Amino acid sequence: MLKLYVDTDKYGYQSEFAPVEAYNSAVKDLLRRKFSNSDVPWEDFVFELEESLVTKADMSAIEARLLAFGHRFEPSAMSSSQERPEAYKDSGLFNEDFFFEHEDAPTADGDDIGRMLRGAGDNVVNHENNLTGIAQYIRTSDKVLKYLTEGVPENTIAIVDDSGGTLTAPILEQFSGVLCAGGTTRSHLAILTREYNIPCLMNVKLNGIKSNDRIEVEVTAPSKTADDYASGVSTLAKIWRL
Amino acid sequence: MSKPEITYSQLLETNNLIQQNSDETYWLCATRTVQESKIFPVSAYILFSYLNCFYRFPELLKKIEANMSAEEVGDRARNSGIKILAWTIPCFYLLGREMLINWGVIKPTDAVEDVVYVMDFWKRFQLSWHRNNGGLTNKQGGHRAQIFPEQKLQVFHADAFECEVGDDLHTAAQEFMATVAQYGFLVSCESRLTIHNHGPYKISDNREMLIRDFRELSEYDFPWLDDVANDLDYNNLTVAMVVEDTHITLLDDWGSFEAEPELKSEHIKAIGLWTADNLTDGHLPVGMGSPEELTATFKNLTEKVKEATSKLWTQMAGWSRDQQMDAGALNYFACAKELAHIAGCYEMKDWMMIDERAERFRPLLNDEYGNLFLGELVGMITQPSQMAHGYTMAQHTDKPTKGLSFIPYSILKDEPYTPGVGPIRGGVTNLSAKVDRYRTSQGFMTQEQLNKECRSFTMTCCQEKYRLLCADWVKYHYDTELADELFRIEQKNSRNLKDRGAGLTCQDIEHMRLARVEKA
Repeated sequence: MLKLYVDTDKYGYQSEFAPVEAYNSAVKDLLRRKFSNSDVPWEDFVFELEESLVTKADMSAIEARLLAFGHRFEPSAMSSSQERPEAYKDSGLFNEDFFFEHEDAPTADGDDIGRMLRGAGDNVVNHENNLTGIAQYIRTSDKVLKYLTEGVPENTIAIVDDSGGTLTAPILEQFSGVLCAGGTTRSHLAILTREYNIPCLMNVKLNGIKSNDRIEVEVTAPSKTADDYASGVSTLAKIWRL
Repeated sequence: MSKPEITYSQLLETNNLIQQNSDETYWLCATRTVQESKIFPVSAYILFSYLNCFYRFPELLKKIEANMSAEEVGDRARNSGIKILAWTIPCFYLLGREMLINWGVIKPTDAVEDVVYVMDFWKRFQLSWHRNNGGLTNKQGGHRAQIFPEQKLQVFHADAFECEVGDDLHTAAQEFMATVAQYGFLVSCESRLTIHNHGPYKISDNREMLIRDFRELSEYDFPWLDDVANDLDYNNLTVAMVVEDTHITLLDDWGSFEAEPELKSEHIKAIGLWTADNLTDGHLPVGMGSPEELTATFKNLTEKVKEATSKLWTQMAGWSRDQQMDAGALNYFACAKELAHIAGCYEMKDWMMIDERAERFRPLLNDEYGNLFLGELVGMITQPSQMAHGYTMAQHTDKPTKGLSFIPYSILKDEPYTPGVGPIRGGVTNLSAKVDRYRTSQGFMTQEQLNKECRSFTMTCCQEKYRLLCADWVKYHYDTELADELFRIEQKNSRNLKDRGAGLTCQDIEHMRLARVEKA
């Protein structure tokens, strides 16, 4: 079979991640076969024959082969696993009892005023006083819709998975605080909470905080800057269960 | 294959532009982290958009230049505002190329003339847009973007209203900026393309001004804003925000800024609001008659934006994944459609469709592959095409990598190459059909009307008489009638500077402001 141009590569070998390598190798293999069978020079193949010979059905077949090996995709968007439960892992998003159990979350027994350390994160804005409130996991659009309809209870500190600003868009300003398990203090959610002047920690590691727990967040900690990230400085704000 | 008409010099420059974008892409992505959302398959749609850009940009940018040069488009964009294009046009396009190289679908020697043209278009647009500070990118200016000319800055400086934390104007302005930013992220499917900042601009020893553009808020090109944003009277809004006792240290090519000390609401000391589009003669004040009027305007806009946010979120949360993919990909891909509007050649079928050639790859783009492949391409720089020889030390990482592939110089000798991807093909979309209704400063228009109006309208400052009257000319001719005319163009809607002409300096404007404050 003919070699592709990129099959001869002095410095590059393969993708870092196995699923990427599996897909990219499969596409290259497809191209090798189609090009080999076309019996034309590459210059007549690319943007010409290739367009009709390499089809959407071919790409679906590549995916089907990966799934046939038992691989299931990690979901990001809710719609992905909802529409294709056979192709995606269970997101667990609809488990009402869910709570984060990050292994690297700092934890400790009650301090001298009875606060139990249950996590930490990167503070977006340094505030004058720590924040106390009731934790609520916000992981699905169903829950957002419920709050959009009924209103967000007072003193709610939202715990969210992703650093984006779209999931909680219509209700974000009603939270008294936000804890986000991803992102940095420059992520979209951080930008928005800063604009709204809502206390927020990003890149949060939590272990042992459930919905309806009363918590305290150390938003008096220094905010984490781009220089802190670049130089690896750890400026973690603590999260306690009360 | 005949020898290319491309010269060694052109190829050297093209590869230089590719490398500049490669280095900055790494820096931008490394300092942001991947944006994930439960509503949108973000990484997957980003990759999808890159493919669409690769297959469609060359043809569509040529179509723009058939109507107006990239440089003239840049002139108009500089004066009326634009979405983030500095990074998006070259990098979306080149990352699509990089994906296809790693799939073996193309070689680095394919679409050579396309790559040279897209980079050259981008360079000429950027140099024009950045004309007042002489840079190609914000990065080249030390992560700073001083876009506006003195005459426009003077009006913004003079007319912005003073405010303090806790007063009505400050509160209303802060709430508006938070609400419209929130809405912007939603309109742009979790990207920041609705929001664009430039500056900082020096006001005094302890004051700087930041210009914040919020663009495409109303019914315009995006089908998802039909019937959602029809109550929003302005498609674009520009906030001039004067901050005190903080220094904006960085404003990058994604339009994001950082300040030292950290920018807090108490640093905001003056605020103003304007609007501009391709049919306004410069920026028009919005609610700028008095602080009370501006406060009421902000409050009114905030309510309308909140309502649109709820409607839009409800619509988007009910979308299928294919609809989410299309909207996200089209939002990214269509960043350059602004230029087609300026040139008066925007067509919905060009910019709001996924090209059939990109559509083929949709089944590959599941969430997991999207996250991992994008992560390798822009964050880790670990795809095979990105590996360089062992002596290489990449900017920022010192690793032997190169984020974006060069065009091999061997094509100038005897290595075969292909010129381009050819004409755009048919397009597909899973979104609702776009209503032929576009919000402009001159009322609603159809696509045909809008193109016609854009082609026939030239804002005064871009007319031949004034277009080349730059800051360096003003410096030596400020006492001429022509300089006064130039400044009066921007001053004609100003509350404090109407017909004042070209003689005032930044310091004069600041003294006028201080006198007003003292009097009050």
